[in-house]
Amino acid sequence: MRSLTLCWLLALYAAASAGQPVTVVDFAGRTVTLSQPAQRIVALAPHIVENLYSAGAGDRLVGVVSHSDFPETARALPVVGSFNAFSLEQIVASQPDLILMWGSGNGAGALEKLERLGVPVYVSELRSLEDIAASIRRLGQLAGTQAVSEAEAQRVETGFADLAGAYTSAEPLSVFYQIWHRPLQTVNGDHMISQIITLCGGSNIFADAATLAPRVNLESVLARNPRVIVAGGMATAHPEWLQHWEAYPGLRALEGGLVSVNPDLIQRPTARALEGAQELCGKLAWVRAQP
Amino acid sequence: MITNVIDRRRRAQRLLLLLAVTLPLAMLLALGTGAVHIAPSDTLAVLLGGDRGQATLIVQQIRLPRVLLAGIIGATLAMSGAAMQGLFRNPLADPSLIGVTAGASLGASVLIVAGGSSLSGLAGLSLVSLGAFAGGVLAVLLVYRLASSENGTSVATMLLAGIAITALAGAAGSLLEFFTDNERLRQISLWKMGGLDGANLPRLLLASVVAGAVLLALPQYALPLNTLLLGESEARHLGIPVNRTKLALIAWVAVGVGTSVALVGTIAFVGLVVPHIVRLLIGPDHRTLLPASALAGAILLVCADALSRIVLAPTELPVGIITALIGVPFFISLLRQRHQYGMQT
Repeated sequence: MRSLTLCWLLALYAAASAGQPVTVVDFAGRTVTLSQPAQRIVALAPHIVENLYSAGAGDRLVGVVSHSDFPETARALPVVGSFNAFSLEQIVASQPDLILMWGSGNGAGALEKLERLGVPVYVSELRSLEDIAASIRRLGQLAGTQAVSEAEAQRVETGFADLAGAYTSAEPLSVFYQIWHRPLQTVNGDHMISQIITLCGGSNIFADAATLAPRVNLESVLARNPRVIVAGGMATAHPEWLQHWEAYPGLRALEGGLVSVNPDLIQRPTARALEGAQELCGKLAWVRAQP
Repeated sequence: MITNVIDRRRRAQRLLLLLAVTLPLAMLLALGTGAVHIAPSDTLAVLLGGDRGQATLIVQQIRLPRVLLAGIIGATLAMSGAAMQGLFRNPLADPSLIGVTAGASLGASVLIVAGGSSLSGLAGLSLVSLGAFAGGVLAVLLVYRLASSENGTSVATMLLAGIAITALAGAAGSLLEFFTDNERLRQISLWKMGGLDGANLPRLLLASVVAGAVLLALPQYALPLNTLLLGESEARHLGIPVNRTKLALIAWVAVGVGTSVALVGTIAFVGLVVPHIVRLLIGPDHRTLLPASALAGAILLVCADALSRIVLAPTELPVGIITALIGVPFFISLLRQRHQYGMQT
């Protein structure tokens, strides 16, 4: 009965908000104004597609880029190109009333090109874990689906806050996160994965590296001797990478500190990062519990 | 004129001696430097068989295979480049000109896209490396076939065919990259960047056997290469089996460069500029040019790799950036001293 009332309220709310002008500030600090909530949306990055579904507006999508593979229904949407090579003609042909672009990913000059189409453009650029909930909220405002987006944003915020409460002051663990094994590649402190490691009470041993995803030297891993080595990857988990470390008997991580996670959950700044963070925090807690 | 020749020969011998002394020193220096500080005394002790805990592990298992591999690959690339420039009598010739590099890249991309990277191959080499080797050798065979007719092999046609096959393989590779998924795209780009950090004992062994054979075989052709500098018909009249020499040289270069690309990816520049630098210093006599290029190439790559490990430590820079940054200014200053060099070959 309660849910029925909620549904009715939602329907009323949606009806009331339709036709109302919407003003949202995007991640580039630009003010985006729509005469009414967006009905036909083109999204130019897989993580934006995912966040739009989280905001309850996935059904408004009329164009996405390749690799938009989550949730499953996104795979069936019309594709306007790839994130760094999209077709302006295809975008025009899909008659959008809002374009969501990826600030740092769509290439130089993308904003100017898209603005020339005469359709409002919203720039998404997520830098931190807090930005995930903020992004879901703003997308909900743009599509007029605040009822869904607000609940989801709060779920994500509470989830991260719970993890922070449980682990941030736990016994600190030094962590080496492998995004590739040959060549050896990791993330520096600016990367979202490194923020998740910090959230879980770990410290990234290469937080000081110069680039976002640096190739690092094997001997410096041995020298910094992390307590935990996490095998990540790109799309699928790679637990087999952990075996290679057994050749170096001096490593502390060999004593119950080798873990692997599903990298698909934490490589995009979306609500799934919460699940990924819960997995990683759980694994680190497991390492802490080792004698 | 005569004194000039004698003078040149003496200079060549001095350079060879200098390079032969510098190479072991450069290798020692490279063994002593890295992201982790290890005192020179400890490095020496480890090399002499002492046990210094973690230092032993780092020097013996990580640095030593890497430095040796850098030396072998650098020598192979530079000597192959010298042989190619001599054979084609063209200052722009380098091993990638006959299609090896592009073919190898395509071979690796095809196998990565086909999912071969999850399978292991032979003797420490991944299936992808084997694909690269096969791709490189196939490309050279194709270029050679295109340039051959019953009248022999035309060097000019071969250069053009090499450019055509390189462009074709490049386009096919880009097409594959366009259609593949993110993870494989990343694998392809990492593979193309190359690098010596995959060095381990099986790879080193393979490199020593194959590249060692190439390094021993190419100097056997020093005299035919010298004669070829006069021109092909002149060489034929002087009794050089021109077509057989060409085929042998190309085959050895394809094997050497194909192996090097398969093991460490593409390292541009060493094969092109090192032979030029050596030729500017001691002249075009292949009896000294080939071994001196090999030594200089080894020194350049060993030093460049050491720098790539320490400049941004713990981050590693792609070694190709360093080889170019060290070699190009040196090359340009030599060119400015001898303006007429570009005209002669």
